[in-house]
Amino acid sequence: MKNVRNFCIIAHIDHGKSTLADRLIQHCGGVDEREFRDQILDSMDIERERGITIKSNTITLDYTAKDGKEYQLNLIDTPGHVDFSHEVRRSLMSCEGALLVVDAAQGVEAQTVANLYLALEYDLEIVPVVNKIDLPSADVDGVLEEIEEDLGLDPFDAVPCSAKKGIGIEDVLEAIVTKLPPPKGDPEAPLQALIFDAQYDAYRGVVLVVRVKEGTLSVGQTAHFMHTDKEYDIEELGLLRLEREKRKSLEAGSVGFVIAGIKAVRDIEIGDTLTDADRPAPAPLPGYKPAKPVVFSSMYPLSSDDYPDLIKALDKLALNDAALTFEKDSSVALGFGFRCGFLGLLHLEVVQERLQREYDLSLLLSAPSVRYRMELSDGTELSIDNPALYPDPTLIEQAYEPYIRASILLPERYIGAVMELCRERRGEKTTFSYLAVGRVELTSELPLAEVLFDFYDRLKSMTQGYGSFDYEMLDRRPTDLVKVDILVNDEPVDALSQLVHRDKARARALHYCDRLADTIPRQQFKIKIQGVIGGKVIARSTINAYRKDVTAKCYGGDITRKRKLLEKQKAGKKKMMVVGSVEIPQSAFIAVLKSDSSS
Amino acid sequence: MTTSPSPGLYVHIPFCSAICPYCDFAVTTGGSERRGRFIEALLAEIGRDRGSALDGWDPFDTVYLGGGTPSALPVDELGRLTAEIGRRLPLADRPVISMEANPEDVTSQTVAGWAQLGVDRLSLGIQSFDAVELAFLGRRHDPAQAVRAVELSLASGLTVSLDLIYGLPEQSPPAWQRNLERAVELEPHHISCYQLTVEPGTAFARRSRRGEWNAPGEDDLAELFFRTHEFLATAGYPAYEVSNFARGPRSQCGHNRKYWEGARYLGLGPSAHSFDGRSRWWNHSAEPVWRSVVEAGGNPEADRETLSLEARALEFVMLGLRTPCGLDLGKLDGFEPEDVLRRNQRVLARAADEGLLSVEGERLVPTLGGMARADAIARSIELRRSRGFGGC
Repeated sequence: MKNVRNFCIIAHIDHGKSTLADRLIQHCGGVDEREFRDQILDSMDIERERGITIKSNTITLDYTAKDGKEYQLNLIDTPGHVDFSHEVRRSLMSCEGALLVVDAAQGVEAQTVANLYLALEYDLEIVPVVNKIDLPSADVDGVLEEIEEDLGLDPFDAVPCSAKKGIGIEDVLEAIVTKLPPPKGDPEAPLQALIFDAQYDAYRGVVLVVRVKEGTLSVGQTAHFMHTDKEYDIEELGLLRLEREKRKSLEAGSVGFVIAGIKAVRDIEIGDTLTDADRPAPAPLPGYKPAKPVVFSSMYPLSSDDYPDLIKALDKLALNDAALTFEKDSSVALGFGFRCGFLGLLHLEVVQERLQREYDLSLLLSAPSVRYRMELSDGTELSIDNPALYPDPTLIEQAYEPYIRASILLPERYIGAVMELCRERRGEKTTFSYLAVGRVELTSELPLAEVLFDFYDRLKSMTQGYGSFDYEMLDRRPTDLVKVDILVNDEPVDALSQLVHRDKARARALHYCDRLADTIPRQQFKIKIQGVIGGKVIARSTINAYRKDVTAKCYGGDITRKRKLLEKQKAGKKKMMVVGSVEIPQSAFIAVLKSDSSS
Repeated sequence: MTTSPSPGLYVHIPFCSAICPYCDFAVTTGGSERRGRFIEALLAEIGRDRGSALDGWDPFDTVYLGGGTPSALPVDELGRLTAEIGRRLPLADRPVISMEANPEDVTSQTVAGWAQLGVDRLSLGIQSFDAVELAFLGRRHDPAQAVRAVELSLASGLTVSLDLIYGLPEQSPPAWQRNLERAVELEPHHISCYQLTVEPGTAFARRSRRGEWNAPGEDDLAELFFRTHEFLATAGYPAYEVSNFARGPRSQCGHNRKYWEGARYLGLGPSAHSFDGRSRWWNHSAEPVWRSVVEAGGNPEADRETLSLEARALEFVMLGLRTPCGLDLGKLDGFEPEDVLRRNQRVLARAADEGLLSVEGERLVPTLGGMARADAIARSIELRRSRGFGGC
């Protein structure tokens, strides 16, 4: 156990966490040069493209240190986005130490701070790593200063490196061995093993990734899952190298995989504690919090023929994504679909992209919503995340909406603009404090609903990319809510209905009307688009009738091309949603729902 | 069974002295040597071994030399071409021969030469009578040359058509009106007015992508379209197709009408399309590719498609709606007119309500507004055959 180190790498998006992980793996011979693909740990396409880690992966490395001893390094990868902070927490609980990566050119950002606080919450030893020192714009001294000033860490502990160029990798490995503590724990004690990740394997079912805190986990044991109160027999376990390496047992301090005949990820709870059914531990490990969805949206297949495929795809995704929730939903305009719950907007986008890419489904998503709580006049309470279920407004005594505490790190010169953004988004208790000369941490208590729509994009653009943002859920607060409906030629498009704060209703409705007017192609007749609250029109726009669409030339060589275009358009027309005899193309829904800049 | 009209023959001559920035046809520039090789190849294509797609055609009663710029070829080269056509291919007694020409190629000598070859109709690529517009369109003639070309052609006794383009960026309705007035003053037999379309792959498309383009809006273009039709009808040039206007039926282009009436045609030369009533095929469009295949004695066909009854019906409808005569559902192969009318009752009633067309017995007759919306109407008409209905 003395020669084991369990550690993770924490960093702001793009600061090079995955590249550093790959270099460590490569240096320890986990993979040979031929097999080496950049960012081995980020295996999903989407992760690779966006340079972020969504699903965490864990790997065991062998390292011979300068002291001549063999070390077993368990690299516990953590997701790098705020939506997945519960996953980050579980990963941190499995480690004794963390490498805190800071980009030598970008410096400390909000997520760096947030991650550091999280790591400190779990008592981890921190080694700062200053990455990308090879960049021409690198300012190593400046970053070291930030590490001291903003993070309160000793800059002399910091290891400079360039993961991309392979500079300083050995120093990072030595720091892991010398500065991070070995795990503690008693192999003879009653078993406590933390499930911190799970993956679905088409042949073996669920593969759990665990950190054994106390006792010993062995093949043949009956494992008792303490929170879900279920029992499974352990069929196989071992270490996670690039392939699974079977062992007979895993002792306190180790990290490895467990296969126990579990069918789906939702049969278990990540964060749960495994114990031996025959000799149980008195209590589970502390810190268990189930992941709760906070953002909701309805998904509809563009073609109703795809509905059965959507069911199958969601079932499959849920095998591996315990945080995704879904239930049946239907829309007059869009037909049958699912109301889905997500951990955040990125989670929503990831699920949508996976459904489209991996399952080839074309989907429409309704405007994301938070979950509101309503106290009705008859004394009952209601939780609502779907505008379709909005009750008669006269019956609502009081509505409540979820708030977050946003932490925004930014250069001082943008503070005015960002405070205004927070005010515009109904921020409360917006304050700031200086982290260092010229750098400010701004905190604001914001309605989550206000952050769902392009808050981050606006922040990025108004701070020219220097602002960074992180948040945590706070509580629910009273709100003045209305339901805005969009009518096309007097018929409501239910998928575009939404719940908004009364002060934002008009701007939002106008934005929707304008976007629809821009994207619905002209048709044979004039189209009227209105935003209404109840019966009251608060916004409107019109699309004039089309007068001419015939192509100028149609001779011998044009006829086939023209006919094929018409055939394609005819087929496309079948895919269009028809509301009030108006054909609304998918692109219009996408344009309206995707980027919303109501302000 | 209706007796099918005679087929037409199209010959594509891809050479131009320069490529116009709006053109997406199979065109190329090239010196006299390359043109010489092209003519040899074209003669070889005409003389291909029997048993090929050239076999079995009824006599052609129209011949159309298009391009490109056929007028860019020397008269004697064109003569070799027409002679070879006459020798090798079945022609009707007095086929109508049409030819496209650029104003800068029109001289009293060339016009006389073309007439000598039997050319009846000359389609002149005037495009505009405004110097700034001509420069914008990358044309190589000026307004005076344009006028002169029309006058010379008319004086030689040929049937003369002018091509004009409208909907240029920044073009005002009065500016377009002046072009129309100038055209009518010259008293040609026929006028074609094409709305400028930015086709992918053209210089204009690149400029448009770079944002150097202040394209007229949909409403402005519709306005120009309707003005054009009204003005020319009043001036004695009623439309017989969306973009084509003639002084009378005899001045209409019989060859082009074949395309809109579903007649058969044979195409020779690069990119040329052929249609035998059931299948359509087309030659390689790049001149060097087409030529190398022909020179090697091969078949220059790039691809072909056999049209389903539904596809033929869709073409029949989309093309018929481009003409004020409309289409006769009774001529739809494999469909019962009553069946089509019944299936599309709602769509047709609505189109009639909106003044887009009328249903006259088995004919669908578009109004001018309907011709302008021909694509949308064709898209909304359902042309599925009911099951169990046997074709012939």
